[in-house]
Amino acid sequence: MAGQEQLKSCVIDKNLCSGCGMCVGLCPYIKTFRDRVKVIHPCGQKDGTCYSTCPKTFWDIDGMDDFVFQGPRSDQALGVYKGIFFSRAAGEKAGGAQYGGTATSLMAFALDSGMVEGAVLAGGSALDPRPVYAGTALEVMAGAGSKYTAVPTLAAFNQAVGINGGRLGLVGRPCQVEAVRKMQQGCHSEAHGNRERAVGLTIGLFCFWSLTPEFYDFLAEKTKGEVITRVDIPVEGLTVTTPAGANTWPVDQIRKYIKDSCSACIDCTSEWADISVGSTESDPQYNTLVVRTVAGQRLVERAAEKGVIEIKPYPEERLPILRKAALNKKMRVIQGEGGKMPGYLKLSDQYRAEIIRQWEVLQK
Amino acid sequence: MSAHAVALDQPGRRVVLTGNEAAARGAIEAGVSFAACYPGSPTSEVLPTLARLGARFNIYTEYSTNEKVAMEAATAASYAGLRSLTICKADGFNVALDFAAAVCLQGINAGMVIMVGDDPGSHSSVREEDSRLLARTANFPVLEPSTVQEAKDIVKAAFDLSEDLRQPVVVRCTTRICHASGDVTLGDIPMVKKEATFTRSQRFVSSVKFAPGMRDKIKRAAALAGDSPFNYYTGPENAQRLVIASGPSYTYSLEALAMLGLEDTAGVLKISTTWPLPEELIIKYLIPAREVVFAEEVDSFLEDGVMVLAAKNMDRIGQTKFYGKNSGHVAGPGGPFVGELDPDIVAGCLGKVFNTPYHPPAIPNAGEARDIIEHSLPGRELALCAGCPHRASFWAIKTAVELDGREAIVLGDIGCYTLGLYRTGYNLLQTVLCMGSGVGLACGLAKLDRFNFRQPVISVVGDSTFFHAAPQALMNARYNQADILCVILDNETTAMTGHQPHPGRGVSASGEAVGRVEIESLLGGMGIPVTVHDPYDIEGSIEVICSLLRQKGPRALVLRRSCALVAVKGKKKNRVYVDQDRCIGDSCGCARFCSGVFACPANIWDSERGRARIDEAVCNGCGVCATLCPGKAIVVERTV
Ligand SMILES: Cc1cc2nc3c(=O)[nH]c(=O)nc-3n(C[C@H](O)[C@H](O)[C@H](O)COP(=O)(O)OP(=O)(O)OC[C@H]3O[C@@H](n4cnc5c(N)ncnc54)[C@H](O)[C@@H]3O)c2cc1C
Ligand code: SF4
Repeated sequence: MAGQEQLKSCVIDKNLCSGCGMCVGLCPYIKTFRDRVKVIHPCGQKDGTCYSTCPKTFWDIDGMDDFVFQGPRSDQALGVYKGIFFSRAAGEKAGGAQYGGTATSLMAFALDSGMVEGAVLAGGSALDPRPVYAGTALEVMAGAGSKYTAVPTLAAFNQAVGINGGRLGLVGRPCQVEAVRKMQQGCHSEAHGNRERAVGLTIGLFCFWSLTPEFYDFLAEKTKGEVITRVDIPVEGLTVTTPAGANTWPVDQIRKYIKDSCSACIDCTSEWADISVGSTESDPQYNTLVVRTVAGQRLVERAAEKGVIEIKPYPEERLPILRKAALNKKMRVIQGEGGKMPGYLKLSDQYRAEIIRQWEVLQK
Repeated sequence: MSAHAVALDQPGRRVVLTGNEAAARGAIEAGVSFAACYPGSPTSEVLPTLARLGARFNIYTEYSTNEKVAMEAATAASYAGLRSLTICKADGFNVALDFAAAVCLQGINAGMVIMVGDDPGSHSSVREEDSRLLARTANFPVLEPSTVQEAKDIVKAAFDLSEDLRQPVVVRCTTRICHASGDVTLGDIPMVKKEATFTRSQRFVSSVKFAPGMRDKIKRAAALAGDSPFNYYTGPENAQRLVIASGPSYTYSLEALAMLGLEDTAGVLKISTTWPLPEELIIKYLIPAREVVFAEEVDSFLEDGVMVLAAKNMDRIGQTKFYGKNSGHVAGPGGPFVGELDPDIVAGCLGKVFNTPYHPPAIPNAGEARDIIEHSLPGRELALCAGCPHRASFWAIKTAVELDGREAIVLGDIGCYTLGLYRTGYNLLQTVLCMGSGVGLACGLAKLDRFNFRQPVISVVGDSTFFHAAPQALMNARYNQADILCVILDNETTAMTGHQPHPGRGVSASGEAVGRVEIESLLGGMGIPVTVHDPYDIEGSIEVICSLLRQKGPRALVLRRSCALVAVKGKKKNRVYVDQDRCIGDSCGCARFCSGVFACPANIWDSERGRARIDEAVCNGCGVCATLCPGKAIVVERTV
């Protein structure tokens, strides 16, 4: 059994915390500012939900596939999925949408159609993002656009569960989807209520890494106080748009802000979400959309039917590129750079061997 | 007792007054016209007593921004021919010393008294200090009362002495005299019409050419001390055993000798003019004495003075042994230079020196009482009041410092919020030295980046302390671009010394409405950006502090909320209670946050029901705990 002390020593002090926010707001002692999640006072309790619910304390990957998909995966690169597409918002598209606006449109539709009663996502301004609870489609729209730091969205989830109680949707990074899936397996004390049933939909983002908040100091310095309307990190580099125009800096200039925890993460496509959304790496007007669960499939179908989103086939020739990128990240973690896999990850020998095998196949 | 008793125009009438009230009465009897002070315990009640009677006796009173300004203002009145009084505590005298050391050279005009409160045992001070040493440095004669009656009589006499010498005179009063209540026989109140004059031909400058004249004044003071009615001897003639005492130690010594049964063989020489000393008077009693013991508090001031005198007059006084703080014979439980004396301590010391062991009287059921105290009574720590905005501020600062994660250093200052050193303020403060020093220290720490010190630096200062001593340090921060965050805990009063007003309050010592000095505009004028926030909004405060910590240059945050005790005065309080169905007790996992960690005295634990509870008698209705309870189990019923 373990609690706050172990959470601090094994996760936070080791820089493994990804800032998902799942432990924030369950007690008065773990607080957040920007992407920081910190223990502000020792509570002295031996056991704690904070420790048991954190996706970085222990995590059985084989078990996670069973829990979400009732069986093992065949594709180690992208996980279990029912379909992969290009998509974009077809009806109303959020002004600040990152690419096709799929994530925002789908969550707004889930709210409007009653699938969820509220959603938690990363709102706030470009330089000052924060966890947000959205109770209306309009509020979901207001949260559009990628913030490249680790916004602890799930802090808003914990707060909303306490206040609103109903079924909630999440738009989040892979680590946040993992945190929700782990939580749904019942790893918290009764005091923290009926959380398992509180999540009705997870829309996961593609994410290879997020950045520490020092990145904002960098941004503020580069843009000299101008209003930032958009931040993107395409292959060309970090691109920041202000009313004066767009500027690009090489990605190498921001590598130092990559969170340590992201280098230890094996999931870059939100493999356990109902739906995953990413870029297309080719057409900024579209998204890559991965439909994974039955619930996700139903939502996407209805949204397409109602003309909320527009879907087209995923180009055959791009699949190996995406799979390779995903497997490369996994390989870096399980055996590559630095060589050490973080202790919290539990995966069977068979699972690991399968990753390596599929990666080797792709290398040829 | 009251301003009423202080004001009675009934010479010869006996009334009960506190030492501070007696001192105020002494000043009135001396015809004081002008009184200025910065409040400080143990002397903080003198000025308000005079302020209440200001209209009646035509006395101008003011709270000055600090003790130096107060002393300067009082000196100006003396220059203009009006008797003036300035009151401070020992620490405050330090602040005024620069001026004191200058004004002494040429001296003054009308009588001017500086009443200094020394605090042996540091009941309400950060340390013990003996202001007599500083008074001597400033060449101000020192008088010390031993009783409440003397507090009145000596203050009055000090005005006459001052006027005779044309030199300010210090009346050193200790806490036991200031705060004691005693029987005082009133004297006459003069009713003279007072006019201030300061002509074009008058000049007062600090120049070494006045030094010889100043020395002459001290010589004259010594001569006058020889005739002072406040120095006297009690005991057998030609006593071989002599106690020389000042202040309340005089009465302790009489009592101690009586308890030891030595009153017929040993005598007590009471000295009130502790500087300069009445030399011939002392030598007269040293000549027959073979054993001399000194009883005085804080430093060995009287002792050292008499020892020098004895050395100079060895041929006359012959073989004599001296016992005091320096020899280690006069000491309380903390050692010779620490803590207060009392009759028991003095009896113990005298008993040892005079070979008459002292057996304290047996206290009935002492063992049982000790047992109850040690085992049954709960320990009581120092704590901020229920609803104190400082508690909310400290929780916000603590949280922000942890979230910031760069090991910010938090420097403290003097005021109620000094309790930030302790658990009630989450042990947040790392330095507490003297008024305003936290800000100056912060300036220094913030300039150590080239030596690889890069932790953020926060200084926490109260509003009254801010006005007293922070602007200079903040100007320095601005001038030298020190990266500091100065958090001003503005509870809109000088809370610790009894809610006296200050320049930011908009009301004078006599209760008149006056223009406010706005902290924001003051700092704005210095070019220091200021943010103002309500500390009761803890989440918001945390965010503000976190953001400010990431900025550069000197910055200020005013956390403004009235002192909880002032806010509820005469008003109906909000009702705050725990919904014991929502509070799930120890299964919450919050580790009894409200009563155990946030620890407002109104948050208590109902051990019978295993739930949190609010002590409604203590609660001031701020409702801050309700915003922090993770179970949202605390309910606030607002009255407004
Ligand atoms: C840190 C980060 C790294 C990413 N890296 C990649 C990548 O390498 N490759 C790739 O293909 N795609 C990446 N993405 C995803 C991509 O940027 C888009 O978010 C995604 O394609 C959805 O696009 P959209 O047009 O549907 O977005 P929108 O409709 O604008 O919706 C974006 C949604 O994401 C939420 N959000 C924004 N920032 C965050 C955050 N920091 N944490 C949690 N939620 C957030 C918003 O609240 C909003 O609901 C990343 C996203 C993030 C946040
Ligand atoms: S990873 Fe999530 S749950 Fe774990 S410590 Fe960080 S914020 Fe808390």
